[in-house]
Amino acid sequence: MVPPEWYLLLAAGVFCIGLFGVLTRRDALYFLMSVELMMNAANINFVAFALYYGDLTGQVFALFVIALAAAEVAIGIGIILVLYRNFGDTDVTVPTEMRW
Amino acid sequence: MILEAFIAFTFVAALVVMVAPDEWAGKLAFGLSLAPFLGSLYLWSQFDAVGNALTGGTIAFESRIEWLEVGGRSISWFVGLDGISLPLVVLTTFLVPLAIVSAWTPIDTRQSQFYGLLLFMEANLLGVFAALDFFLWFIFWEAVLVPMYFLIGVWGGPRRKYAAIKFFVYTNAASLLMFIGFMSLTFALGDSVSSFGLPEITQAIAAGGLGTWFGFEAGTIAMAAFLAMFLGFAVKVPIVPVHTWLPDAHVEAPTPVSVLLAGVLLKMGTYALLRFNFTMLPDQASALAIPIAAIAVISVIYGAMLALAQKDLKRIVAYSSVSSMGYVILGLVVFTEYGVGGATFQMVAHGLISGLMFMAVGVMYNATHTRMVGDMSGMADRMPVTVGILVAGAFGYMGLPLMAGFAGEFFIFVGAFGAPSLPYAPIFTALAMFGIVVVAGYLLAAMQKTLFGPFRLETDYEVGRAPLHDVAPLAVLLAAIIVLGVAPDIFFEMIRDAAGPVVEGVSVDV
Amino acid sequence: MVDAFAYVPAIVLLPFFSFVVALAAGRYLPKGGAFGGIAATAGSSLLSLWVLATVAGGEAYNETIYTWASAGGIGPTDIELTFGLLIDPLSALMLVIVTLVALLVHVFSLGYMNDEGETGLPRYYAGLGLFTASMLGFVVADNLLMAFMFFELVGLCSYLLIGFHFREEGPPSAAKKAFLVTRFGDYFFLVGVVAVLATFGTAQFAGDGSFPALADQALSGAGDVAWVPGGLELGTWFTIIGLLVLGGVVGKSAQFPLHTWLPDAMEGPTPVSALIHAATMVAAGVYLVARMFGFYALTPTTLAVIAFVGGFTALFAATMGVVKDELKQVLAYSTISQYGYMMLALGAGSYVAATFHLMTHAFFKALLFLGAGAVIIAMHHNENMWDMGGLKERMPVTYWTFLAGSLALAGIFPFAGFWSKDEILYEAFVHGLNDPLLLGGWVMGLLAVPVTAFYTFRMVFLTFHGEPRSELARDPEPVRWNVKGPLTVLGSLAVVAGLVNMVPVQKLLGIDGIDFLTQWLNNDFGGIDGVSYSAYNDLLATYGGYAPAELLGLSEELTLLVAAGLSLGLAVVGVLVAWRLYNVASPTEHTAKLGGIKDVLYNNYYLDELQVWTAYRTEDAAGGADTFDQGIIDGVVNGTSSVALAAGSRVRRIQTGLVTHYAAMLTLGLLALLVALGVSGGWFL
Repeated sequence: MVPPEWYLLLAAGVFCIGLFGVLTRRDALYFLMSVELMMNAANINFVAFALYYGDLTGQVFALFVIALAAAEVAIGIGIILVLYRNFGDTDVTVPTEMRW
Repeated sequence: MILEAFIAFTFVAALVVMVAPDEWAGKLAFGLSLAPFLGSLYLWSQFDAVGNALTGGTIAFESRIEWLEVGGRSISWFVGLDGISLPLVVLTTFLVPLAIVSAWTPIDTRQSQFYGLLLFMEANLLGVFAALDFFLWFIFWEAVLVPMYFLIGVWGGPRRKYAAIKFFVYTNAASLLMFIGFMSLTFALGDSVSSFGLPEITQAIAAGGLGTWFGFEAGTIAMAAFLAMFLGFAVKVPIVPVHTWLPDAHVEAPTPVSVLLAGVLLKMGTYALLRFNFTMLPDQASALAIPIAAIAVISVIYGAMLALAQKDLKRIVAYSSVSSMGYVILGLVVFTEYGVGGATFQMVAHGLISGLMFMAVGVMYNATHTRMVGDMSGMADRMPVTVGILVAGAFGYMGLPLMAGFAGEFFIFVGAFGAPSLPYAPIFTALAMFGIVVVAGYLLAAMQKTLFGPFRLETDYEVGRAPLHDVAPLAVLLAAIIVLGVAPDIFFEMIRDAAGPVVEGVSVDV
Repeated sequence: MVDAFAYVPAIVLLPFFSFVVALAAGRYLPKGGAFGGIAATAGSSLLSLWVLATVAGGEAYNETIYTWASAGGIGPTDIELTFGLLIDPLSALMLVIVTLVALLVHVFSLGYMNDEGETGLPRYYAGLGLFTASMLGFVVADNLLMAFMFFELVGLCSYLLIGFHFREEGPPSAAKKAFLVTRFGDYFFLVGVVAVLATFGTAQFAGDGSFPALADQALSGAGDVAWVPGGLELGTWFTIIGLLVLGGVVGKSAQFPLHTWLPDAMEGPTPVSALIHAATMVAAGVYLVARMFGFYALTPTTLAVIAFVGGFTALFAATMGVVKDELKQVLAYSTISQYGYMMLALGAGSYVAATFHLMTHAFFKALLFLGAGAVIIAMHHNENMWDMGGLKERMPVTYWTFLAGSLALAGIFPFAGFWSKDEILYEAFVHGLNDPLLLGGWVMGLLAVPVTAFYTFRMVFLTFHGEPRSELARDPEPVRWNVKGPLTVLGSLAVVAGLVNMVPVQKLLGIDGIDFLTQWLNNDFGGIDGVSYSAYNDLLATYGGYAPAELLGLSEELTLLVAAGLSLGLAVVGVLVAWRLYNVASPTEHTAKLGGIKDVLYNNYYLDELQVWTAYRTEDAAGGADTFDQGIIDGVVNGTSSVALAAGSRVRRIQTGLVTHYAAMLTLGLLALLVALGVSGGWFL
C-alpha cells in the first residue's frame, strides 16, 4: 500500500497550484478553476485517509464535496456572468466597490 | 403588584401613542401620561416605607419575582420604593405631562413617534427609580439611553447627530465602567450573597462580606469599584470634567427633551451615586471625601463661570445645571442628614427649576426662532407672562428663599458646613456657596440683555404672546416650585427618613 | 380681650394679599390696584399700632409658628428650621414705622404714578405690596434664617421695583446692580446663617435657647456650643460669624464698599426710593444688627469694625453728596451717609441711639424723597437742580415740609435728626476714648456733620430759593392732595419725632421720664428678658469693656453740652456756608473750584469703575474658562473620538476590495498560524 504521506504530498501540491492560481491570476474563470483544484486536493486527502483508516466516511465526504463543487461552479459561473455583464470584463481587480 | 401595573401601563401607553395618528398623538400622549401622574400621587398617598430600602428599611409596594439564576446568584424582578425614590418617581411623572404639552408647538413632524418615545423613556425612568435588583435596574438604566438618542438625533437642532452620538457613546462607555465596577464588587462578595438584589448586596457589604478575589484585597476591590462606579455615574450627573456632552445635548435637543434631560435624566446619575457609591461603600466615600468635595466645589464654580461666558440661553441653563449638580455631590459626600437629604431634595428642586427654565426659553424660541442673547432685547414687552415666569424661575435658580431651589441648597449648606466626616468642611462649603453670587450674575446679565430694554429683534414676523398651552405648563411648574419652597417637608420628611440610615453608614469621631 | 399677637401674621399677609390681588386682577381694578394696597397697608398700620399698644401694656411674644424643615444636625439633637414671630419693643416700633411709611408711599403713588399716566400700574402696586410684606416678615422674624429669607425677598422686590421701567436701558441695569451687589453681601450673610446653625443648632434671636444666649453661656463657661471649626477660639469664631452676618448688612444698608448700588437705584420710581431708603431695604441691614445685638455685644472686635465702617461711610458718602446735580442723587448719598451714622451708633454699643436714628431717619428721609417726588412731578421729571430754583413760592407745602426734613437731616435743633444724631456722636465719643477704631469712627462722623448740613442746604437753596432757572421751574405742574397729605404727615413727624428721646435734656435739667424711647427699649414697659438695652449694656461691659470713659476729667453734663454744641455748631457752619454760596438769585457752580477733587467726587471715587472693571475681568475669566472647556476638556473628548476614527480609517485600508488580496491575506494568516503553532508545538526544534 502506498503510504499516506505520498497522497498528502500530492494533495498539498495540487492545493498549492490552486492557491497560486488564485493569488496570481486576475481572470475570474481562472479563479474558478483554481478553486476546483484546491477542492480536489481536499478530496484526495479525504479519500487517502478513508483508505488508510478503512473508514468509508471520508469517501462519502469526497462525494459531498464533488456535489458541492458542481453547485459552486454553477453559482461561480453565474457570478462571473454578472461580473462580465456589469464590467465588460472578467478581471477581478476591476470591481472594487466592496472596499471600505 | 401596583408598581408593575404602573410601569406596564406606561409602556403600553407608549406603544399606543406610537401607532396613533400624528394629528392627535400629542393630546393622546398628554391624556395617557396623566394616568402615571395620578398613579404616583396614589402611591404617595399610600406610601408607608420606613428607613432606607437598601440598608434594611421597609420597602413600600415591594414586589419580587425570581427570574433567572446566573452563577449561583438569582436575578429577580424586584421593585419597590422608599423615601428617596418616591419623590423622584413623582417628579418624573409630574414633568412628563408638562413636557408633552410643551412639545405641542415645536414638534411638527412624526409626532406619534416623538410622544411614543417620550412615554417609553418615562416608563424606563420609572423602572430605574423603582428597581431594586441590579440587573433589572441596569436594563432600565441602559434602555433610557435609546429613546433619548432618537429624540435628540431625529428632532434636534442642526448638529443633532453629533450631539446624539456624543451623548450616547459617552454615557454608554461610562455605564460599561460602572458595570465592571459593580460586577467586581459582587464577585468579591463571593458566597455571602445569593442574589443581585441591591438590599442584599448593600447589607452584605456592610456586614463585611467582601473577600479576596483574583488576588486582590477586599479593600482594594472596594476602592476600585467605588472609583469605577463614581466615574461611571459622574458622566451621567455630570461632574466636571466629564460634563461636555451636556451642553451639546441640551442645545440640540428640542425643548421637551431638554426638560426631561435636565429634569430627570441628570438625577439618574445623582440617584445612582447615592444608592451605589454612598450607600453601599460609605467607608470608601468618606476616605475620598476631600477629593470628591473638591470636585463638587470645582463643578459649582467652574460650571457657573462657564455659564457666564455663554451667549446661548440654553447653554447658560445647561452649564448652570452642572453647577447645581455640584451642590448635590457636596451634599452627598458630607454624610449628614441635612446633606444627604438636602441633596435628594435638590434633585427634585433642580428638576423642577431647570425644567421651567428650559421650557420658558423654549417658549421664547418658538416665538423668536433664536436663543442668542445678543439677538433680542426687550422680550418682556411682547411676552409679559412668559417673561414674568421666566424671571421668577431665574430667581428660583438663584436660590431665592421660599422657592424649592433655596430649600435644597440651604439644607445642603447646613448639612455640609459643620460636617464631621469631611475635613475643612466649612471652607469647602463657603467656597461652594459662592456659586449663589455667580449664578445671580450670569442669570441677571442674560435677563437684562434679552428681556428688558427696548424691544428689538431683527425678524420679518410678528412676535406676540405665547399660546395658553405653552404658558400653562410654566405656571404649573412655578406653582410647584413655590409650594415645595414654602413647605419642603412634604418631601423632605420622607427623604430625611430614608437618608438617615445612609448617614449612619459612616462612623466618625465627633 | 382679643390677643393682638394673634393678628401679627395678618400684618404681614395683608400686603401680601394686595400683591396677589394686584397681580391677578390689578388691570380690572380702578387705579391699577392702588386701593387694595392702601387698604392693606392701612390695615397693617392699625394692627401694628394695636400691637404697639399691647407691647406697651407689658406683653411680648416669641413663638414658633411653623416648622419649615427639620433633620439631624451635628449634635445629638435635630436642627429645626422654623418660622416664628418675635414681637418685642424693637420689632413693634419697627412695624409701626414700616407700615406707616408704606401707607404714605402708597398714597403718594396715586399722585406720582396714577396721575402721571404711568403704564404697568398693577405690576407696580404688586411690587409695593410684596416689598412691604417682605419687610414686615423680616421685622417680625424670630430667627436668623427667617430673617435671611425675607431679607432676600426684599432684595427681589427692590430688583422688580428699581427695574420698573424695564423698557428703558437704565433701570434694568440699575436693578441688576442692586440685586447683584446686595447678593454679594448676602453671600456672607448666608455663610453666617449656616455657621450660626452649625455652631449653635438654633438661630433664634431671643429666649433662653437663642444663639446670643448660648454664645454668652459658652463664653462665660456656663455652657457649650455644638460645634466650633477646627481648633478656633470661641471668641475668634464668634467674631468671624459676626463679621459674616455683617456682610449682608453692609450690602443691604449700602455701607462702604458695597454702597454703589444705591445711587443707581434712583432709576426706580421716586416713591419706591422713599420706601427703599426710609423703611424697607436699607433699613433692614441696620435693623438686623439691632435685632441680634445680643450677639454682637459679645464680640467687641466686630463692634469696632462696625463703628469704623459706619463712621467712614458717613463721611465718605457725604463728600460725594456735595457735588451731585440731581436732586435724588444728593438724597441717595445722604441715605448712605445717615445709615453710616446708625452703624456707628451700633458699633459704639448704643443700641438705643441707632434705633432712634433709624426711626427719625425713616420719617425725614421718606419726607425728603416724597418731597423730591413732588418737585419731580412739578418739573415734569427733570431732576437736575440747576434747572430748578424759586420753587418756594410756587409750591409752599412742599417747600415747608421739605425744609423741615432738611433741617432734620442737617441735625439742627430741635428737629428730629438733631436728637438722634447728637446722641450717636455723644455715645461714640464717650466709648471711643477707649478704642482707637471707635474714636476714628467718631471723628469721621463728626466731620460728616458740616458736610451733611452743607449739601442738604445746597440742595434746598438750589431747588427752592433764588430765581427760576428754566421754563419748567417758572410754571411747575401743581400737585394734588395725594402728594401733599403724606408730606404733611411726615413733615410733622420730622419736627416732633426727636422729642421721644430727649436724653441730653433729661441729664442736663434733671427732668425724669422724657427719655421715652430709652425706657421703651429698656423693657421698662415690658419685653423679653435678655433683649433689652440694659441687658446689652451688661454684655458690653462684660465682654468689651464698654464703659463710659473718664471723659477727660470733665463732668458728664459738661461733656454733654460740649458734644451737642460741637455737632450743632458744625451743622450750623455747614448751613451757613451753603447759605453764603447758594442762597443767591442765580447761584454758580462753586464746585469747579475744587478742581480735580470734584471729578473724583463726582465719579464716586471711581469705585463704580472698579466694580465694573471687576465684573469685566470676571467675564474675561469666564471666557478663558470657556475656551479651556471647549478646547481642552471637550477637546480631549472629541480627540478620543478622532483618534478612534483616524485609527479606523487607517486600518480599513486593508479592505482593498480585491479578492486576490483577501485570498493572499487568508493564506498569510494561515501560514502565520501554522508557524505560530509550529513554534509553540516545538516542530522546528
